[in-house]
Amino acid sequence: MACVYIPVHNSQEEVRVALDQLPRDATDILDILKAEQAPLDLWLTIAREYFKQGKVDQFRQILEEGSSPEIDEYYADVRYERIAILNALGAYYSYLGKIETKQREKEEHFILATQYYNKASRIDMHEPSTWVGKGQLLLAKGEVEQAFAAFKIVLDGDRDNVPALLGQACVEFNRGRYSDSLELYKRALRVHPDCPAAVRLGIGLCRYKLGQFGKARQAFERVLQLDEENVEALVALAVMDMHANEAAGIRKGVEKMHKAFEIYPYCAMALNYLANHFFFTGQHFLVEQLTETALVVTNHGPTKSHSYYNLARSYHSKGDYEKAGLYYMASVKEVNKPHEFVFPYYGLSQVQLKLGDLRSSVSNFEKVLEVYPDNCETLKVLGHIYLQLGQFEKGQEFMKKATKVDPRDAQASLDLGELLISSDPAAALDAFKTAHSLLKKGGQEVPVDLLNNIGVIHFERGEFELAEQSLTEAVGDGIWISLIEGKVKSNPTDAAESVRLYKDMKIFTELEEDDGPVELPWNKVTALFNLARLLEEIHKTEPASLLYRLIVYKYPDYVDAYLRLAAIAKTRNNIQLSIELVNDALKVNDKCANALSMLGDLELKNDDWVKAKETFRAASEATGGKDSYSTLSLGNWNYFAAMRNERRNPKLEATHLEKAKELYTRVLVQHNSNLYAANGAGVVLAEKGQFDVSRDIFTQVQEAASGSIFIQMPDVWINLAHVYFAQGNFDLAVKMYQNCLRKFYYNTESHILLYLARTHYEAEQWQDCKKTLLRAIHLSPSNYVLRFDAGVMMQKYSALTLQKEKNKRTADEVRSAFAELKNAVRVFGQLSAAANLNFHGFDEKKIATHAEYCKHLLEAAKLHCEAAQREEEQARQRQELARQVALAEEARRKAEEQRKKQLEKRKLEDELKRVEQQEEHFKRVKEQWKSSGPKRRERSDNDEEEGGHSEKRRKRGGKKRKERGSKSRYEPEETEADMVDDQEYPEDEDANLNYREGPANETQEQDDDEVEENAQGLLAAAGLEDSDADDEPSNAGKRKPAWSESDDDAPEQQPNISPVRENSAEPQESDTEVIENSEKPNGDDDMDEDD
Amino acid sequence: MKLAGLKSVEGAHDESAWAAAWVPETDTRPSLLLTGSLDETVRLWRPDDLELERTSTGHCLGVVWVAAHPSGVIAASSSLDSFVRVFDVDTNATIATLEAPPSEVWKLQFNPKGTTLAVAGGGSASVNLWDTSTWQLIATLQIPRPEGPKHSDKSGNKKFVLSLAWSPDGKRLACGSMDGTISIFDVARAKFLHHLEGHFMPVRSLAYSPIEPRLLFSGSDDAHIHMYDVEGKTLAGAMSGHASWVLSVDVAPDGAAVASGSSDRTVRLWDLGMRAAVQTMSSHTDQVWAVAFRPSGGSSRGGRLASVSDDKSISLYDYS
Repeated sequence: MACVYIPVHNSQEEVRVALDQLPRDATDILDILKAEQAPLDLWLTIAREYFKQGKVDQFRQILEEGSSPEIDEYYADVRYERIAILNALGAYYSYLGKIETKQREKEEHFILATQYYNKASRIDMHEPSTWVGKGQLLLAKGEVEQAFAAFKIVLDGDRDNVPALLGQACVEFNRGRYSDSLELYKRALRVHPDCPAAVRLGIGLCRYKLGQFGKARQAFERVLQLDEENVEALVALAVMDMHANEAAGIRKGVEKMHKAFEIYPYCAMALNYLANHFFFTGQHFLVEQLTETALVVTNHGPTKSHSYYNLARSYHSKGDYEKAGLYYMASVKEVNKPHEFVFPYYGLSQVQLKLGDLRSSVSNFEKVLEVYPDNCETLKVLGHIYLQLGQFEKGQEFMKKATKVDPRDAQASLDLGELLISSDPAAALDAFKTAHSLLKKGGQEVPVDLLNNIGVIHFERGEFELAEQSLTEAVGDGIWISLIEGKVKSNPTDAAESVRLYKDMKIFTELEEDDGPVELPWNKVTALFNLARLLEEIHKTEPASLLYRLIVYKYPDYVDAYLRLAAIAKTRNNIQLSIELVNDALKVNDKCANALSMLGDLELKNDDWVKAKETFRAASEATGGKDSYSTLSLGNWNYFAAMRNERRNPKLEATHLEKAKELYTRVLVQHNSNLYAANGAGVVLAEKGQFDVSRDIFTQVQEAASGSIFIQMPDVWINLAHVYFAQGNFDLAVKMYQNCLRKFYYNTESHILLYLARTHYEAEQWQDCKKTLLRAIHLSPSNYVLRFDAGVMMQKYSALTLQKEKNKRTADEVRSAFAELKNAVRVFGQLSAAANLNFHGFDEKKIATHAEYCKHLLEAAKLHCEAAQREEEQARQRQELARQVALAEEARRKAEEQRKKQLEKRKLEDELKRVEQQEEHFKRVKEQWKSSGPKRRERSDNDEEEGGHSEKRRKRGGKKRKERGSKSRYEPEETEADMVDDQEYPEDEDANLNYREGPANETQEQDDDEVEENAQGLLAAAGLEDSDADDEPSNAGKRKPAWSESDDDAPEQQPNISPVRENSAEPQESDTEVIENSEKPNGDDDMDEDD
Repeated sequence: MKLAGLKSVEGAHDESAWAAAWVPETDTRPSLLLTGSLDETVRLWRPDDLELERTSTGHCLGVVWVAAHPSGVIAASSSLDSFVRVFDVDTNATIATLEAPPSEVWKLQFNPKGTTLAVAGGGSASVNLWDTSTWQLIATLQIPRPEGPKHSDKSGNKKFVLSLAWSPDGKRLACGSMDGTISIFDVARAKFLHHLEGHFMPVRSLAYSPIEPRLLFSGSDDAHIHMYDVEGKTLAGAMSGHASWVLSVDVAPDGAAVASGSSDRTVRLWDLGMRAAVQTMSSHTDQVWAVAFRPSGGSSRGGRLASVSDDKSISLYDYS
C-alpha cells in the first residue's frame, strides 16, 4: 500500500502516513504538516488522496489551508507547489461549476476558480499548468475561443504539453473541427501513451463525429478495457449499436445503456437514449420518468432539447397534442438553429397542423425543409397544407418537387394526384398511374383508393372501359363479381312484387342461407359504388342495381346508394318505388339536400305541386340556402307555376315569373357559372320577349355544357331553337331541334318532334310537317293532341292549296290536298268517335266542328278536284294538240327541208347543165361568133328571181308558225277567264270559315271567359285549338303547346316560346348532382402520422 | 351464337321503315321479308340479296306494322289512319279492309293456326280479334280499367294497347300497354286473366318463346327486356344494356337467344343462358323499329334475322 513519508522537521526521521489510512479528520494531518513544515507537495499529495477517496471536504480543507496567506508567506520561495495547490483548487471549483446545475452557485464556483487561477498566475505568469487550468475553466464556462487562447499559450511554450493538448483537442471538438481535435488527441497519446481512458474517449468521439464508426468503436472499446465503468464510452458504444438499426444491435445497445445507467444514473445522454428506446417500445411511463430525470441533471442545451423532444413525442403519440406542442416548443427553444436538431420542428409543425394552426405549421415545416430541402415527407405535407390554405399552385409546386425528388415514391405521386384531382384531372391521372405502376413494381398492394381514383377520373373523361378495368381491380374479388356477371340467380320474383324490384333484398338473404354471410369490406364500398355508377352509365342497369342493393344491404346508412336506386327507378318511371327509396334515404338523414331535392322532383312528376314546393323549400333550408339545386328547383317551380295555368292570370303569371327570375339570379350570384341558373334566367327573359339577350345566354350555356359527360343539357338546345323560331329563323330552329333530338334523345322525344313540326308548319313545309307529326304519333301513340294537330295541319294545307290562285297550283297539288283533306276528315272522325270514350278529353264539339269543316271543305274540294281534273284533262288535250301541231310542223319542216335540198340539188344540176350547155354554147359561139351576149344575161336574171322567191316562201312559213304559237298561247288565257268564275268557291270557303268562326267562338266563350284571345278573330282552327288546350288531358303542368295555336298569328306572339317551359328544368340534374357527390374521390389525408 | 351481317339495303324505303315480318314460304316460292314504312308502302323482299319483289301502296299515313299469315299466302298491314289492310302476298290483291272504330290499330299478329287475326286497339284499351275466313270481328278483349274513382281522363290513356303476342299454342294472348303493364288473356273464353307488372313505360314489343310456351319477353321504353313466366306470373329476369327504348324483341326459333332493336340504333343479341348481351350490331344510324327472326322449317336453311330502321334501311343477318 502506498505511503507518504512526512519528514520530521529538523531531524532525519519521517512520519509514515499510509494513504489508505488517512484519518477521517483532516485536521490531524494538517497539524502534522504544519508542525513539521512539510514540503507543499506533500500537502498536495495528501489532499489529492483525500479527493481520490471521495473525501472532498478534507481535500478542500487541506488545500485551502495550503493556500492560506501564512503559507504563502512561509513558503514564499516555493513557487511551483503553491501554484499547484492553487491550480488544484481552481480545477476543483471549475469542476464544481461545471457540474452545478443551478446558475447562481455555478457562477460562484467559477468566480472562486478564477480567483485561484489568477492568484496562481500572480505567482508565476508563465506556469503552463495554470494556463491549462484557466483553459479548462473557460471551456467549462463555454468560452471556447478564450480557452483556445489559453491552451495556445501553453502549447506555444511546450508543444507536447499533454493537458494543454487535451484541452485544445476539446476546444477544437467543441468548435466542430473534429479532425483537428483528433490530431491533438493523437499527439497527446503519442506523448503520453499511458494517459487515461478519457483521451481515447476523445479520439472515439472525434472519429464518431468524422463518421469513422469502425475506428470510433475500437477507441471506445479500448476505453472500456482501460475503464470498465466509463459511462461515456458505454453510452457512445450503445448509441452506435442502436444506430446500427438491427434488432441485435439495438438489444446490445440497450443493454449497454442499462449498464451505463446503473453505473451512473444521471447521464442525460444515456437517459435520453433509453427514453428514446422506450418510446419505440411504447413504454411511455418510462419515457417520461427518464426524460424528466435527464432534464433535471443537465442544462446542456442540445441534450435538454432532446429530452423535451422525447417527452413531446411521447405525448404526441398518445394524442395529447396540447402537451406535445408545449414540449416541442420547449425543445425548439433549446435549439438555436434548426440545423442542430430539426426533429422537434417537425414534430411541432405536425402538432400545429393537427391543432389547425396551419400557418405556424407551415413556417416550421419550412424550417425543416431548410435543413433537408429534399425531404419528401415534408414537401408532401407542405403541399397538402398549402392546398388547405387555398394556395393551389404552391401546393402543387411542393408536390411536384416531392415526386421529382423521389420519382419512386409512390406515396408522393399518389398525393400529387389527389391534389390535382379537382384542378387538373389529366395530370392527376398521370400521377395516379405513376403511383400505381410504382406500387406494382414494388410488389406492394395497390390501395383500393388509388384504383378507385384512377377509375373515377377515367369515368369522368368518358373512358368507360378503362374506368371499368380500374374499378374492377379496385373492388377485387368478391360476391359482387358474380352479381355483375349475373351468376347469382335469384328465385323468380312474383310479377306483382317486381314493382318493388329495387328494394328487394331477397337475393342476399338467399345467398346467405346458401353460402354463408355476404361480405363487403368497408374500404371497398366507395369503389363498388363507383363501379355500380359506371355500370349504370353504360346502361347495365340491372347489375348496377344489384351492387347498390348490396351496399345498402351491408351498409344501410349509405344514402347515395338509396338515391341511385331511386334514380334508376325514376328513370324507369317507377315513381312510387323511387319515392319509397328516397324516403329510405331520408330516414338515414332527413336533412339530406340531395334526397329532398329528388323527392321534390318526384312529387312534381306526380303532379303534387304544393308538396313539391314544400320539399324544395326544406331542401333549401337543410343547406342554409347554399344548395343551388334546391333554389333552382324552386325557381323552376315558380316558372312552371307561371306557365301552368292555362287560363292565364296575367298578374299571377308575372308574380311567378318575377319570383323565378329572382331565384335564378340568386343562384347565379352564388355560383356565377351555374349553367342551369343561366338557362333559367334565359327562359324568363325569352318569356318576356327579350329574345336577343336570351339567345346570347343560351348560346353561351350551350357552349359551356358541351364539355362534360355529366352535363347533359338538351333544354338549352331546345330553348335556343325556340328563340330562333320566335325570331322567324326557321331553318336554324329546325336544325337545332333535330340536333337536339339526335344528340340527347335518340330521336325518341315526341315533344321536340312537335316543336319541329310546328316550325315546319310556320315555314309552310307541309310534307316535312306531316312526316314529323306522323313520327311523333308513332313514338307517342296515346298523345291525341298529336293526331289533332296532324288533322289541323292537313286541313290547313288543303285549305291553303285550294285557295291558291288557279294558275299557281297544279292538279297534283289539288289532288294531294284533296287526299289530305280526306285524311283529316278521318282523323277528326276518329277523334270524335274516341271522344265518346274519354280517350283523350278533347271537347267533342270542337272536334265535330273541325270534322264538319273538313267535310265541307272536302265537298268544295271535290269541285276543285274535278275542276283541276278537267283542267288537267284540257291541259292534256292542249298538250296533245300542241304536240300534234308540233309534230305536224316538224314533219312539214322536214318536208320543206327535203324540198329545199331537192331544189338545191336541182339547182346544182341545172347549173351543171347550164355550164355544159354554156360550154356547148361556147363551142357553138366559137362557131357562130356574133349573136350570143343578151341571151345569156336573161337567163341569169331568171335564176336570181327563182332563188329570191324560195327565200320568201320560207319566210312566210316561219310567220305562219309564229301565228300558230301565239294562238296556242292565247288558249290558256281563255281558260283562265273560265276559272275566274271558279274563284267564287274559295270566297265561299272563306265565308264559310268566318261563318264557322262565330259558333266556334261562342262555344269557347261558354267554356271560359277568356274573350280577348278569341276576339282576335282567328281562324276557326286556331280558336278551337286554344280552347282545346284547356281541356287537354295530359299533364297539366306539361302542357303541350299545339302549334296551331298561333295559326294565323305572327311568330312573335308570346305563346310561341311556350315550349320552353317544359324543358327548362329537367329533374335529371339531380342525377348529376348525386354523381358528383358520390364520386368525390375518397382519398384519405394521411398526413398526420408520418413518423 | 352469333349474328353476321349479310346484306343491308340503304334507302329501302323512302321514309322511316317501321315494320318487318317474314312471310312463310309457299309451294311456289321461298319465304319473303315484308316491310312497312312511313312512306305508306309495304314492300316485299327476296332474301338473301334483299331484292325488291314488289312495292304495294294502299295505305294513307304511315304503315305501323305488318304481319303474315302462317300459310304464307296472305298478310296484313296496319297504318296510322287506323285501317288494317289484308292482302294476297303474291298478287297484292286487297282481300279485306278492317276497321273497328274508335279503336286505332297498332301491332297485329295472326294466331299460330291462322284462324284469327289479333289487332292491338290502342286507346280503346282492347285487342280486336278478326276471323280470317269471314273477316268479321269475333271478339274484343278488353283490358279491365283500373278501379278507383277518378280514372276518367288521365288513366284512360295509360292502358293504351301497343303490342301483342300469341302464345305458341294459341291459347293465350299477351298485350302490352303504354303504362308498362302486360295483360294476359285466355282467348278461348275471351277472358282477361292477369297483369304482369314490372315495366312502367310503354311496352312496345312482346314475344313468346317458341320453345317454352310459358316464357314471354317484353321490350319497353325503360330500356329493359323482361322475361316473364306467364303462367307463374313471375318476373324471371330483367336484361339491361340498351341505352334507350327497346322498340322490338323477337325470340330465335331455337329459343336460346333473343334479338332486340332499340332507339339507341343498335340491334343486340341476348344469350338467354347468360342473360347478357353477347353481340351488338351497329349497322343502323337511327332507331331500329323492328327485328324479326325467320321462322324455322321449310326448305330455307340457316337462321335469318332482319331489322328495319328509321334510317330507311333494312339489314339482314345470318344467325347461327
